[in-house]
Amino acid sequence: MDPSLLRRSFLKRSSIGSAALMSFLKDSSPGMIKPKESAKCKRVIVLCMAGGPSHLETFDYKPKLEELDGKPMPKSFTEGQQIAQLQGQANNLKVLGPQHKFAKYGKSGQEISTALPNIANKIPDDICIIRSMQTEQINHDPAHTFMNTGSIISGRPSMGSWINYGLGSEGANLPGFVVLTSVGGGQSQPIAARQWHSGFLPSQYQGVRLRSKGDPVLYINNPKGVTADRQKDVIDTIKNLNMIGNQTLKDPEIEARISQYEMAFRMQMSVPELVDFSDEPKHITDLYGTKGADGTFAANCLLARRLAERGVRFIQLYHRGWDHHGGIKKGVEHTAKLVDQASAALVLDLKERGLLDDTLVVWGGEFGRTPMAQGNGRDHHIKAFSMWMAGGGIKPGITYGATDELGYSAEKDIVHVHDFHATMLNLLGIDHEKFTYRYQGRDFRLTDVHGKILKDIII
Amino acid sequence: MKLLTITILLLGNYLLHAEDPDFNSEVRPILASNCFQCHGPDVKARKAKLRLDQREGATRDLGGYRAVSPGQPTESELMKRILSDDPEEIMPPPKTKKHLTIEQKEILRKWITSGADYQDHWAFVRPKKPKVPEIANEPRVKNNIDRFVLARLKLEELEPAAEASPETLIRRVSFSLTGLPPTLEEIDTFLADKAPNAYNNMVDRYLNSPAYGEHMARHWLDLARYADSNGYQYDTERQQWVWRDWVINSYNSNKPFNEFTIEQLAGDLLPQASEHQRLATGFNRNHGITIEGGIIDEEYRTEYVMDRVVTTSQVWMALTMGCARCHDHKFDPISQKEFYEVFHFFNQVPERGANGFAPKQRLTSPLAAAKKTENERKLSQLNKELEKPLNLDALIEKWTSQIALQPKEGWVILSPKTINSTGGATLSKLADNSILAGGANSQKDIYEITAEATAGKMTAVRLEALTHQTLPGNGPGRHSNSNFVLSEFELTAISIKNPSQSQVVKFARAIADYSQAGYGVSKAIDGTTANSNGWAVDGPTRKAPATAIFIAALPFGYEGGSLLRFRLRHEADFAAHGMGRPRLSVTTDPADSLQLQGIPADIREIATIINQKRTKSQSDRLKKYFLTHHNPNRNLKKRIATIEKQLAASFPETMIMQDMAKPRATHVLNRGQYNEPGERVSAGVPAIFPTMRANNSNRLGFAQWLMDPTHPLTARVAVNRYWQQLFGTGLVKTAEDFGIQGELPSHPELLDWLALEFIRSGWDTKHMYSLLLNSATYRQTSHAGEAAYRNDPENRLLARGPRMRLDAEEIRDSCLASSGLLVNQLGGKSVYPYQPKGLWMELNNRPGYSKEYQQGKGNDLYRRSIYTFWKRTVPSPMLKTFDAPEREFCTTRRSRTNTPLQALALLNGPQFVEAARRLAERMLSEGGQTLNERITYGFRLVTARVPVQSELTLLRSSYTENLKLFETNQSTAHKLLKVGESPYNTRLNISKLAAMTSVARLLLNLNETVTKG
Repeated sequence: MDPSLLRRSFLKRSSIGSAALMSFLKDSSPGMIKPKESAKCKRVIVLCMAGGPSHLETFDYKPKLEELDGKPMPKSFTEGQQIAQLQGQANNLKVLGPQHKFAKYGKSGQEISTALPNIANKIPDDICIIRSMQTEQINHDPAHTFMNTGSIISGRPSMGSWINYGLGSEGANLPGFVVLTSVGGGQSQPIAARQWHSGFLPSQYQGVRLRSKGDPVLYINNPKGVTADRQKDVIDTIKNLNMIGNQTLKDPEIEARISQYEMAFRMQMSVPELVDFSDEPKHITDLYGTKGADGTFAANCLLARRLAERGVRFIQLYHRGWDHHGGIKKGVEHTAKLVDQASAALVLDLKERGLLDDTLVVWGGEFGRTPMAQGNGRDHHIKAFSMWMAGGGIKPGITYGATDELGYSAEKDIVHVHDFHATMLNLLGIDHEKFTYRYQGRDFRLTDVHGKILKDIII
Repeated sequence: MKLLTITILLLGNYLLHAEDPDFNSEVRPILASNCFQCHGPDVKARKAKLRLDQREGATRDLGGYRAVSPGQPTESELMKRILSDDPEEIMPPPKTKKHLTIEQKEILRKWITSGADYQDHWAFVRPKKPKVPEIANEPRVKNNIDRFVLARLKLEELEPAAEASPETLIRRVSFSLTGLPPTLEEIDTFLADKAPNAYNNMVDRYLNSPAYGEHMARHWLDLARYADSNGYQYDTERQQWVWRDWVINSYNSNKPFNEFTIEQLAGDLLPQASEHQRLATGFNRNHGITIEGGIIDEEYRTEYVMDRVVTTSQVWMALTMGCARCHDHKFDPISQKEFYEVFHFFNQVPERGANGFAPKQRLTSPLAAAKKTENERKLSQLNKELEKPLNLDALIEKWTSQIALQPKEGWVILSPKTINSTGGATLSKLADNSILAGGANSQKDIYEITAEATAGKMTAVRLEALTHQTLPGNGPGRHSNSNFVLSEFELTAISIKNPSQSQVVKFARAIADYSQAGYGVSKAIDGTTANSNGWAVDGPTRKAPATAIFIAALPFGYEGGSLLRFRLRHEADFAAHGMGRPRLSVTTDPADSLQLQGIPADIREIATIINQKRTKSQSDRLKKYFLTHHNPNRNLKKRIATIEKQLAASFPETMIMQDMAKPRATHVLNRGQYNEPGERVSAGVPAIFPTMRANNSNRLGFAQWLMDPTHPLTARVAVNRYWQQLFGTGLVKTAEDFGIQGELPSHPELLDWLALEFIRSGWDTKHMYSLLLNSATYRQTSHAGEAAYRNDPENRLLARGPRMRLDAEEIRDSCLASSGLLVNQLGGKSVYPYQPKGLWMELNNRPGYSKEYQQGKGNDLYRRSIYTFWKRTVPSPMLKTFDAPEREFCTTRRSRTNTPLQALALLNGPQFVEAARRLAERMLSEGGQTLNERITYGFRLVTARVPVQSELTLLRSSYTENLKLFETNQSTAHKLLKVGESPYNTRLNISKLAAMTSVARLLLNLNETVTKG
């Protein structure tokens, strides 16, 4: 190759690299793309019901299922389909009728399980229920991976990282992507930290988990014997020493480090205040059903609102407790009790504060559960499950899509995980087909080569 | 308006170039990004049967017209289409959201005008020996690397930077080769060395340090996706560290890269494969393995094979082979079929999808070879001894003389105070304190015996069942058959001082030198007589004494003496089976050291008789007893078994590669799905590369093919990674992708020269590092001024020295090293350093699968980070914060970010606060007498240089201010000093130490400390 030829294209490329680098170095992190100005939605809160909530006991009422309770599952549904733990029982599959009653709620008459009285009574007209979700992965870990990254291959960025990368953070004191976890009500299947990692995106865009025990953010507290004043002094002195070091060097990396130390200190100041609910009036803590940031789902919902107010772009709550292979009646009741009130409270509270218009709330798991019985429970199921969304430009008080008469397979207006991603990005003002990142020579998207925007559920 | 101006300027810029566009650097990138998706190598995705990645396809007659008509842009359909306004006509089609710029269209036009020449992709063509440029600036040249770099700089009209200071150089080299900062001794030696080859010698010293192997291995582990856990949902522990030790050892012994490669990919298939060659193949078993229920076995087994293909092709060829899993590669000339031909090599392991850990083998860590050799030496020595014939007479003689001398220490024989028989037997105390039974022999009998004991904390009771001439058959029992059955043995201890205090002694276990089958001594303490069992001693056939020891669960007895009340219950269904002549003793010896001094009294008696005076039956009995209980060979065998056990336990089973005897058939998998097999394929390599040697179409053949000097990629890819490691960015920035979509090399001739040099040297890795480090290019200062950083932020032109933030492991290790905490110990099981409590269980708490993080103790807290336990789903938070990958898959380049969480970890993490305190202790106790000396000492330990005056002033005033505060508040000082497991030096003044710890925290947080510059 002629070096002089190489020079032209090469230098052109590196100057692009330089611009990209410089934008990382700013104080609060701006996004890498400019969203459509018309987009109203500014942030997302995902209430991830981990374990796979049964759609048949929550948002998808099937009278026919009730009728066939205990009878053999019609073969026409199950033949040739992938099942998980019911493998080997393929010839002896029995129908399990809905274990909870359903009723119609609100002006919109949304049909919701009585196991979720708060969602049913308080916010039926605020949410859009999707009954026709489908995914591709039948086990928890890959199904979460698929829901979060749009791929089952390890190493792809999670949706929170994509959005944090694309839109940046609105607040200067907190990371742009925060994760909260809680457990209770069923088998608590492990959740891997990779579910919120940034994959091939730079790692500053990964999710930061706020913990309920110990330091809320790892290493946020000063060492014992070091007061806030002293810590401030340490950070100032480090800054002064680094500036001396940079007098001759002029390395932009050093300026970046100085500002990151300052941001660290601001986080140290702001996180304790963030997790301290003493400034919340009683009617608010009562609304959520929490006393303090104690790691319960209720507390995490209130924390999510506080994070939203402080400009965090993507907030993801995991509640690990929906894996009801056995004892689904009691199990759903139990888990629902832990999440129902706070889920409704979050929507109401955001609405009250005028935040629901620009905040998208998503409620749902990684897959659904079989209409067939697994003892007195249900197995994992990918052909149909339900979720709901509220705010951020979603049409309130509607139900979208439908499953067949047994709730086995989504039939009408099928919503694939990629479609959910495409719609979410669209609400945020991002064209999911143009939002790419080049890695290993390929332009990657959250929606891979798929994804259709669900125009019918957008205002 | 503004936009337009810029476009015109840019366009103008291009128009200035009268030359024809270069295909590889200018034309292909445009075609690849915008056209190959539908008009590239992928047959199935190809639209209109038009192929633009080859000249034949592009210039083919399409029925009176051509996509590309060389020399005639206006006749070329391609130009018409890209210039069209018609949404139906325009290329790329609007729905692809791709868009060509004006200058890109112009480049294509000029390329067609100039004849539309195609070139082969540079990386797929074997490197040719480049002409080394001649350089006028000879004094700046240390080796050929500099000639290539300087030639390029001249082209850019740039000057190289001056050489960095010696302090910077030794620190840079030390980190580059060992991942650790230089010690002060190393710095001083280097600064004092005025010899012309001082620098080369310094480099050599670090190349020969054992830390070199650890550092290089650490980089390799990212590529090898090595972890200590299995990944997927449950992420349970695995033991693959013996393989990791192999990597460290291979670097330290400078195993040539071709052997390093072949052994890892196919060591098991080498003729007469050694233990370590098989161990090496663990490389391709490092992928995650699932244990989740309800999965489909074949689906996951297929994933493991996919992982091997993807990893192997990325590590050795920087190819994104994975793209051809579901369809032909969109950019590189690799078909889906070819992907599965390579897949076939790795598809032969006899493994499963769920719990697919086999094949495994217990193999030795090469780093523990010394200990193993020692154990093996002992073993062979013992085995030799075992073969020697025994001189039994002499051994017995020696043994009997020992018994005769042996004091009966430990056991105090109790003198019975009261004796009673509930069955009406006559019990009389003999001179030796044994109790002889006679008279009435009732069906059932309980001997109630009391005795006083003075000892306070007794641990056990010994019961001897002695024989006597008045007993039936001279045996130990009262029954006419000489036997006895002791159904329960009970003891209550009563305080002599305060008789209201008493305790029922519970026995944890009992042992006896002889027990009848089915009548073990433990039956005498099973707490019941109901089951009609007890301790018996084969009285009918064995008319000999026996001894039992009953070991108490807790020590018993009272200060001031105890009255011991024994009950020897004979209540089994065997009538009249009382003991004939019991004798009781107690001991205070620790329970675990209690030996059944099981030499029966009669043997003891025979032993005291002089050899010649023994009767034949006495001698026979003695011999039989000796061989049964004291056979020297038995001891030997025991020792052999212990060593064998040690040998086995020191190394877990390691997962390795193996091929099945009967090969598994491989099919193209449609859409990459395990359950959609298509055409059957056999082993092979992509046609774009040289062919494999015939008759060698297994994994070994594949590995050898990779290392064939004619392979265009292997050497380039390896040296590029070495370059990336030392300079921060590779000559090819996309070190993981040398394909068509990868970046072009910044210095193509240099890359080729290095690749050929690597091959020429016999794949000598240390030689390559030495070459790179000895170049003037590497030795430049990174203090190059603002413009340099602005114009070339990634230093691609190499007009200055390398400068980058240290990697996660280097940051932790350097803090441990400079503070003196580092424990240098090569290899071994992974360890658990500090980690915030609860992290594992917060995310993964499935009963039966999950466990809490067990933080290590002592040395384990201070080992190098390569030994930190690597849990894929919850990686070490400190390492993760500084951009360490999860190791779920192969990582060629880590990000190097700069975040507030990193500041928090370094400021507040206990590992770093403790390191600061230990650094402060060094500063105070080793640093000198004055404050300046002490601060300078610490500053040098972390940065290798002496602070400038302004730095010293800031650090001094920080110390003084902190000292004042800590002097008025000593409890705060104490709290700070107590961070970490290691105790603080109490001989130092607490306020001064706390103040200096604050200064040390500053030092550990300096940008310079965490930067290699």
